Amino acid sequence: MNLDALMVFIMITPLFSAGIIALFLRDKGTVASWLSVAASGVILALSILLLLNAPEKPYSSSIEWFAVGELTISLGFLLNEHTHLLLFVVSFVGFWIHLFSIGYMDDDKAKARFFGGLSIFMFSMLGIVLADNLAMIFIFWELVGFSSYMLIAHYCDTDEAAAASKKAFIVNRVGDLGFLIGIVWCFWKFGTLDLSQIDLAVQLDPSLAVTGLGLLLICGFLGKSAQFPLHVWLPDAMAGPTPISALIHAATMVAAGIFLLVRIDVLLTPFVLEWIAWTGAGMAFIAGFVALGQNDIKKILAYSTLSQLGYMAAAVGIGLPGLGLFHLTTHAFFKALLFLCSGSIIHACHHEQDIFKMGGLFKRMPITSIAFLAGMVALMGANYTAGYWSKEAIMTAAFALDGPIFWFLIGGAVMTALYMGRLFFIAFLGKPRSPGVEHCKESGPIMLLPLLVLGVLALVGGFYTYWPEILSQSFISEANEVYHGEEFHHAHETLKVWGTVAWISGLIIAFAIYGLGTKGDRVANKIPPLYALFRRRLFIDDVYDFYVAKIQQRFVDILGFLDLFLISGVMVRGSAGIAGLVGVFSRSLHVGSVHAYVYWFLLGIVLFWAFAMGWF
Amino acid sequence: MTLSLNSFLLISGLLFAIGFFGVLLRRNVLVIFMSLEMMLNAAILALVAFSRFNGIMDGNIFVFFIITVAAAEIAVGLAIIVALFRKRQSVMVEQLSSLKN
Repeated sequence: MNLDALMVFIMITPLFSAGIIALFLRDKGTVASWLSVAASGVILALSILLLLNAPEKPYSSSIEWFAVGELTISLGFLLNEHTHLLLFVVSFVGFWIHLFSIGYMDDDKAKARFFGGLSIFMFSMLGIVLADNLAMIFIFWELVGFSSYMLIAHYCDTDEAAAASKKAFIVNRVGDLGFLIGIVWCFWKFGTLDLSQIDLAVQLDPSLAVTGLGLLLICGFLGKSAQFPLHVWLPDAMAGPTPISALIHAATMVAAGIFLLVRIDVLLTPFVLEWIAWTGAGMAFIAGFVALGQNDIKKILAYSTLSQLGYMAAAVGIGLPGLGLFHLTTHAFFKALLFLCSGSIIHACHHEQDIFKMGGLFKRMPITSIAFLAGMVALMGANYTAGYWSKEAIMTAAFALDGPIFWFLIGGAVMTALYMGRLFFIAFLGKPRSPGVEHCKESGPIMLLPLLVLGVLALVGGFYTYWPEILSQSFISEANEVYHGEEFHHAHETLKVWGTVAWISGLIIAFAIYGLGTKGDRVANKIPPLYALFRRRLFIDDVYDFYVAKIQQRFVDILGFLDLFLISGVMVRGSAGIAGLVGVFSRSLHVGSVHAYVYWFLLGIVLFWAFAMGWF
Repeated sequence: MTLSLNSFLLISGLLFAIGFFGVLLRRNVLVIFMSLEMMLNAAILALVAFSRFNGIMDGNIFVFFIITVAAAEIAVGLAIIVALFRKRQSVMVEQLSSLKN
């Protein structure tokens, strides 16, 4: 089995699908959708084939793409235990979301654009997963950014989607600038961008990993994984179609940031790791509060994604990146599931997204509701569900290794149960609060099948000891250490109780506040300032708006004036004006009469003569 | 009676002036061309006179070159004027101003 050919096929399949759709199937939405789904099915099959044949040791191969001076950019694949896991997550979750999209997008006018975008996203994401050097990662990093932009803007005739796509793109550019500078620095320092060689170099000489480099490289992570202070784009990105939120903005692309951290783990110094841990833990805790102030079902889930990404970052930060990948995987299952469930609801309720207008969904959409419940218990970390194993492992490790981080994480766990309880009680229980919701029906089988598959995985997907070894090898030693090791024994015993207490207490608080569904938000009625703080997202977006409108815009105005006056006015128009004047003058000499030319000739002779005589 | 160098130079200067003003003032291209030749011959006359005056042959040899060049020039120039007349039916310079417009 030729591994290279297999990986090239995995990459080319979605690109081919996207190309065919863009060139020939623009107005044949149904054909395009099935082509895209078929492509994702082929990706899944090839990925499984690859995983079955994967070599024991890390495998890498590359070809030179081009060379400029000392800089050689190569295209290549690096297949190791992290790649195995991510490849499976992307192709598996991706396939089910593709399938779901057929049902969800059935009445959409721009189906072909949507499915073409999905395919180009799969291509870019697989590129990040398989790439063996930072330059290639960066290229595909930008490509996922582009596909995210394109798909957020799917409903581009609404202002919300147009603004959200721009916001996502620009905020990500801010992070990517740091990432790019980091890559350049990396090349300057190591003379190569190849991940394996960098790995080797740092192992030989640990002093090569410097803090500044790590801080620059994690800028890419902060942007893509939407961590503070670049988290503001993710909630807005929910303006895109729901399958996009599930695939790109929950399961895979935002997790690519975590994957990047794992890839460049050797370059992260203790200071950088501490930074990552605190950013993640803070986000895990704070995002829960903001989720309490949101009424849009997808925005609540978006803040939940922020919080869960925070857990993964914290895991990387405390030195156990494998657990981060573990949580990434289970999160991909249950968060994709939650988004697909909300997609099923939104589709059935004629694009109603406000949870206060829903209510009573449990009776009307039982299968979706049960699947949602499965995703929700997994997200809360209810005992023995998928989320329990991964989240509990992170919290246990944090308890043993870094006390303060742990308090944020367990606080985050309470908040998770609280906002998910609020969402569930309000949207699924009680009575419908708008006519559209009253008549909603359960979705069709093509949408329910992905829900069931992911629902089962959300419940039982956490029993990592039963996973195929090829998938679990990236984290199994760390997870076993946490669950069975001596060092973590006390922490594990404690967390068994506390973890359970956390999610149950969160649910009880949610029940105490919101009951079995209420008309308005009770926090909003009782403590308006607190609710306003949550609803306005802690005013962070407002601070950015202020900065952009009042500070940056002033600066831009000055630059704009300089551009208009100095560059355009004086330099460009000025030199053009001088050349023009010379032209006007010399044109006036050409009067068109031969006699006049004789006079000019005479004048020239006199001048030459005078010059030859030394008169001037 | 022997003529002094000054007389030759005077004749040469007169010829040159006549030729020059002919070029400046006449409107017929053919006449302008003749005037040009007159200026050329004024220069030849001066060269021969100086050659004779100094008793060396440099000027005389130079004259042969000038005559050769002038012959070639006449061949080209007259051909141009003939072609011009065929095209425009006129050899008046004030009508030859199409470059201006």
